[in-house]
Amino acid sequence: MNALQRWWSDRIPVTGEQVRELTNEPVPNHLKRWWFCLGGTAAYLFLVQIFTGILLAFYYQASPADAWDSVAYITDEVAYGWYIRSVHKWGAILMIAAVVLHQMRVFFTGAYRKPRELSWVVGMLLLLLTVITGFTGYSLVYEQLSYWGATVGANIADNVPLIGGLMKRMLLAGDSYNAHTLSRFFILHGAALPMAIVAIIGIHIVLIRIQGVTEFEDEAEKKQERKTFNFLPDHLYTEIIIGTTLVILLTVLATVLPAEMGHRADPLTTPEVIKPEWYFYVVFRWLKIFPESFAILSTGAIVFLMFGWPWIDGALRRRRPGSEMSVWIGVAAVLAIVGLTIWEALVAH
Amino acid sequence: MSLNMKQIVIAVLGFIFLGSLLLVQAMEVSRRRVEMGQAPKHVVAPASSSKCVECHTKETPGIVDHWTGSTHAEKGVSCYECHEARQGEADAFDHYGQLIATVVTPMDCSKCHPKESEQFQKSHHSSAGNILASLDNFLAETVEGARMEFNPHSPTPGMEVDMVRGMASANSGCQQCHGGKVGLMGTDGSVITFEQLKPDEKGMPTDQTILAMVKRDPKGKPELDPTTWPNTGIGRLNLDGSRGSCSACHSRHDFSPRRARQPENCGKCHLGPDHPQKEIYEESKHGVAFRDLKDDMNLDAEHWVLGEDYSAAPTCATCHMSGNSRNGGEVTHDPGERISWTNRPPVSVRMDTDENHKIVTETDPQARQGLIADTADAKRDRMKLVCSHCHSPDYVSKFYDQYDNLVILYNEKFAKPGTSIMKSLTDNGITSPTQFDEEIEWTWFYLWHHEGRRARHGASMMAPDYTHWHGMYEVAERFYMGLIPQAREMAEEARHSGNAAGADAVDAVINEILARPEHAWFEEGAADASERIRKAMEERYGTK
Amino acid sequence: MTARDATGSQSPQDPAAEPRRGFLRQATGLAMLGALVAGYGRFAGMAMEFLYPSQPAAEDWQFVSSVESFRQGDSLAYRAPRGDKVTITRQAESGGAEDFIALSSTCPHLGCQVHWEPHNDRYFCPCHNGVFDPSGKGIGGPPGDAGQSLPRFPLKVEDGLLYILVPMTRLPAGGSEEA
Repeated sequence: MNALQRWWSDRIPVTGEQVRELTNEPVPNHLKRWWFCLGGTAAYLFLVQIFTGILLAFYYQASPADAWDSVAYITDEVAYGWYIRSVHKWGAILMIAAVVLHQMRVFFTGAYRKPRELSWVVGMLLLLLTVITGFTGYSLVYEQLSYWGATVGANIADNVPLIGGLMKRMLLAGDSYNAHTLSRFFILHGAALPMAIVAIIGIHIVLIRIQGVTEFEDEAEKKQERKTFNFLPDHLYTEIIIGTTLVILLTVLATVLPAEMGHRADPLTTPEVIKPEWYFYVVFRWLKIFPESFAILSTGAIVFLMFGWPWIDGALRRRRPGSEMSVWIGVAAVLAIVGLTIWEALVAH
Repeated sequence: MSLNMKQIVIAVLGFIFLGSLLLVQAMEVSRRRVEMGQAPKHVVAPASSSKCVECHTKETPGIVDHWTGSTHAEKGVSCYECHEARQGEADAFDHYGQLIATVVTPMDCSKCHPKESEQFQKSHHSSAGNILASLDNFLAETVEGARMEFNPHSPTPGMEVDMVRGMASANSGCQQCHGGKVGLMGTDGSVITFEQLKPDEKGMPTDQTILAMVKRDPKGKPELDPTTWPNTGIGRLNLDGSRGSCSACHSRHDFSPRRARQPENCGKCHLGPDHPQKEIYEESKHGVAFRDLKDDMNLDAEHWVLGEDYSAAPTCATCHMSGNSRNGGEVTHDPGERISWTNRPPVSVRMDTDENHKIVTETDPQARQGLIADTADAKRDRMKLVCSHCHSPDYVSKFYDQYDNLVILYNEKFAKPGTSIMKSLTDNGITSPTQFDEEIEWTWFYLWHHEGRRARHGASMMAPDYTHWHGMYEVAERFYMGLIPQAREMAEEARHSGNAAGADAVDAVINEILARPEHAWFEEGAADASERIRKAMEERYGTK
Repeated sequence: MTARDATGSQSPQDPAAEPRRGFLRQATGLAMLGALVAGYGRFAGMAMEFLYPSQPAAEDWQFVSSVESFRQGDSLAYRAPRGDKVTITRQAESGGAEDFIALSSTCPHLGCQVHWEPHNDRYFCPCHNGVFDPSGKGIGGPPGDAGQSLPRFPLKVEDGLLYILVPMTRLPAGGSEEA
């Protein structure tokens, strides 16, 4: 035993104490409240997505001729294929939900305020990347929604002034959907975007570690002596509980509502009702309400404002100290988003 | 929450996760099991035909689709295996590197289905093409059409018609059931059929010089005579000398046994005024049961043996062709093997057949016995094996008594007398040898060819309405109100034009017939009617 | 579950309870580990099953020829749907499947494709100079040394028709092209 330990410490000269020191960041007590774990939830779901995504990539074939068949093969032929695919699909939905909820929590607790503005910006990037990954993901199935979603999406990009045409050409690998389009989507979805997400999550975590998590305290907690608890094992257990609950949830969703095969993409027939995934409903409805170029420009402006929110909020608070304006703007935005989403969900066109 | 508590919660969650995965596993297992049973056979085009399939999936998707669902596809028999042609065959042509022919004949099918082909060749079905020289064909070729091409007598707006093709009725009518004589266009405008090619036993033309005369398109594809192709008539006379067309019943390109087992398949030809077998079947309890119980017919069964695979109802195939549990499941492709009467000719004939499956016509009992290879009774016994799956022997034999009685009644009361009346008219020079140029010839044709057959077929397959109202009732009307008065009138007319001897002879035949007890009601009960006729004749021709 | 019931700090110091606590902690720890290994282990197992080529190699009996038209001594070049080149030879006249042999063109050594050399009356494998006689027996090169023969495909005769058991999956490229 001793010899083994020596062999090990010769090569990795780090003691258990040091490891604990390194990883065992004190975790503020408020993180014992479950709604403060949404960021970790998203991260955990991202791991699930990487794992199931790698599995699916073993069978997926990114060409218009084979894509649908290969997904059908995964769904119908491969052992547990339907399950892995369903988990991947539901994982994506839950992950986007987690990211959105995480961002709302950060917003309403004001956790983006100085000095954490950069964390917010990085978080915004993660939100965008997650949504784009979702979009490229369902384009890969090459069912009707995939094809027409990609076509419509690319043509929306086309309307962006100046760089629109370039964006569309870069996305579709040509002026319209063609034989090379799917492999672009595949690499974006399966390699480029996930790697970007990994890198940005890394930055996100580094920023958190440097700045520390915002500490909140309520009346009860103030009375306690110790305002933090150990990351290991206490918070890890919390994360495991959340993670395992999530995979159980995913498994239940996958068995009760498994991912089905839609009709194979038909470039000559646009389906009567064409809708993107639910997380695009807001934008989709927005585009239908307003004239195209205004809708696109305004969407861009809104995204830009969201990136700059910490500074806008700062300016507002400087001008009118103590006002609850930011909260009300947030409430209004959430109501608008929920309203538009429900609107789009209820109508056919 | 204490660490202990968290650990317990994690343990519980871990096991719940495991449980949910076991549920997934159970779903996967049951899904696999279901799939095992229903998994469609893996169909891949054999290398010999992979290119055909590739191209024809776009060119003629229906053909490939049908084939994909066929047993042929499962077993690796595809385009080339059937359409393969040999160098030197008249209709062979190079199609993207493979030598093929358009028309697939029983000789091609017999490469793999020799027994079926042999049975078929012996059957009456295979000689259906012999109609080409028969009375029915005379109707289509001469009476309905013309044995020639002739000029149109006025223009057809919207279409350039330069020629009226007199054989159209025979081509689109008769030959689509009976089978035509497949012909290739010759470079000199002639039509090349098996008669010119004189194929040997293996189907290769013995007259090779004629091959040079076959008209070909620029790609080398020989041109089939459009009046003879398309044709899937059951007695088709093919270029390789074989007779028949398997796709008459086993429609291309799925060659579905399921379809051949259903009455609709036979109904392409066995229907209509002269032999409404399909309608008769539908009227019968057999057909009614089939329509109701079709779902229980197990029509997709591999062997479809009555009494083993199904017993809900019989179809045409069940009784005449398919295997049953009492005959060892033996299918026959000669539907005549279980038929004891032929009701096709004017007078029904017992199906005592010789070695060549031809009906023995010899009347001398001694000589007859020597010629018969397969008796009508043996044929009937084969049919009884089928019947016996649902009916007691007593029931079956008494049914046959009823059937025999009807056929014999028709034969004796109307068919034989009618035949002798018609014969005496011809023998005495009163009717011309040309058929259908005199009203009485149409009358007689209706009597036996339409109404007489309906009565007999109706009795043979338990359709009372066809036996009676569509059958014997009309036979009787045609006989008493058509044939007899017309024959009398023709005799009278002949008498006035100087053929008194002939008229007397015909009258004698008619009088002898009508004096028979079964016809006595007519003379006695209709005395004034004949008086009326006599008077009318006097008015027309004067007294003598 | 809220912050209210999360009493993270250690509870009463009861010395008598210590050993029991230690045991309890060990037990729950083990239970947790066991459950995690079981749950996630099964998940990993399913992932392995997912990756394992589960579909049995699609093989089926395919029609070759009628027995009657295949004379003794005749040889026939058959191509399986996947493209495999198969040489089928009739060696006897009993009428059964044992009359025939169907030689694969896949070298038993390392799987290269052999080809027939008419001038040498032998099959030759270009990878390591393997040589086979017309009956498929290895007579030179590695297969000769190891006493290997060209693999045979199973054959059967049904209703006078010869069938061969061959792989049915078509490779995406090549296959039908004449080599």
